[in-house]
Amino acid sequence: MSAGRVIEIYKEVGRPPQFVEQFRLEDFEGSHGLGHTRMATESKVTTEGSHPFSTGLDLCLVHNGSLSNHNRLRERLRREGIDFQTENDTEVAAGYLAWRMREGASLEEALEGCLEDLDGFYTFLVGTADGFAVLRDPIACKPAVLAETDDWVAMSSEWRAIAVLPGAADARMWEPEPTVVYAWEKALV
Amino acid sequence: MAVETSEMTGVEIVDLASTPLRELNRRLHGLADGAPGPRRWRVLNPNGAHAVGCGLDADIDVEIEGHVGYYCAGMNKLATVRVHGNAGPGLAENLMSGTVIVEGSASQSAGATGRGGLLVVYGDASARCGISMKGIDIVVRGSVGHLSAFMAQTGCLVVGGDVGEALGDSIYEACLYVRGEVAGLGADCVEKGLEDEHVAELARLLERAGFDDLDPRDFRRYGSARQLYNFKIDNAGAY
Repeated sequence: MSAGRVIEIYKEVGRPPQFVEQFRLEDFEGSHGLGHTRMATESKVTTEGSHPFSTGLDLCLVHNGSLSNHNRLRERLRREGIDFQTENDTEVAAGYLAWRMREGASLEEALEGCLEDLDGFYTFLVGTADGFAVLRDPIACKPAVLAETDDWVAMSSEWRAIAVLPGAADARMWEPEPTVVYAWEKALV
Repeated sequence: MAVETSEMTGVEIVDLASTPLRELNRRLHGLADGAPGPRRWRVLNPNGAHAVGCGLDADIDVEIEGHVGYYCAGMNKLATVRVHGNAGPGLAENLMSGTVIVEGSASQSAGATGRGGLLVVYGDASARCGISMKGIDIVVRGSVGHLSAFMAQTGCLVVGGDVGEALGDSIYEACLYVRGEVAGLGADCVEKGLEDEHVAELARLLERAGFDDLDPRDFRRYGSARQLYNFKIDNAGAY
């Protein structure tokens, strides 16, 4: 479900432990990974409606929140030649980023455009070939926490997911500010 | 092997790495209404667990050694809960009485809807700190985020650092004291004079929080302009 050279996307409906076993996640190797379990609010619980959504070559998006102007924006993006497979709101955000970058915007510029063009709640995490980026809406409705050590950087909706990482107890941790794009681009791939 | 036991120290130790959270909370709830049991507790390895020490109703001390997740010490009555770490969203939500102290930072909605007691944060608190507060006193040594004290009704919010956008939006009656910069005031929130009675109140709060190195006269006071209390015919066009 991915496009590009480096990023692979796997999605399934079911329980996370089964997913880990089914796709043999423990055998995976790489510099960075991105996981998401979805509580559906805007569209059906299907594999297609699961995150991450591919946003172009070696780019993918997960989203905590809900967008209220996705129907109108989807039509606008379709006229620009962006394809959509579902009625899902996050797919529209992914399509929006893909469109902005196709038109020449950098990832950071495309994310900053979300602040103008998307209506609703969002904490976005974008996976790239060599790192990831984070953006929260101006109200910062949905939670997020970042943690960093000399060896790794991690972002999650809450500390519980990060606490299991080696050295987490001594990590520098903070909450990303609303409307600020945070990006890491130094992963070795 | 030396094992620290409650008989030796008078402190009941619960390790959440091996004890289910519900067992801990059930034991703490069992101390309500003066029921016998340990009065001092130490909780190890919270690792961001949710609702640690939530719903306490006993005059006990609970020390939590690490970071906690959502809703720590929510609805607390009488107990003193101290977190040696950071706290997730909804810390001390609807605090009724007692004291909650976080030695790190707190996430959003700290002290929301609190009706009494004291919440102290040594680091920063995030957005919506003290939202709809109804009698709680909150003292944050660092900074707080946007929309703090939204619709605050009564109680005091003391901020040693800076404050984000829309402080005290739609405030009823509550005293807001800020030592640093305010990014912006919300609707009907205005700066008011810092008189001797406010300096005295602030000094008491800072002392209770253990921040008596801060000079109350370095703070500015904010509160309600009381212009949103009643319907005004002049505003009819806005509805």
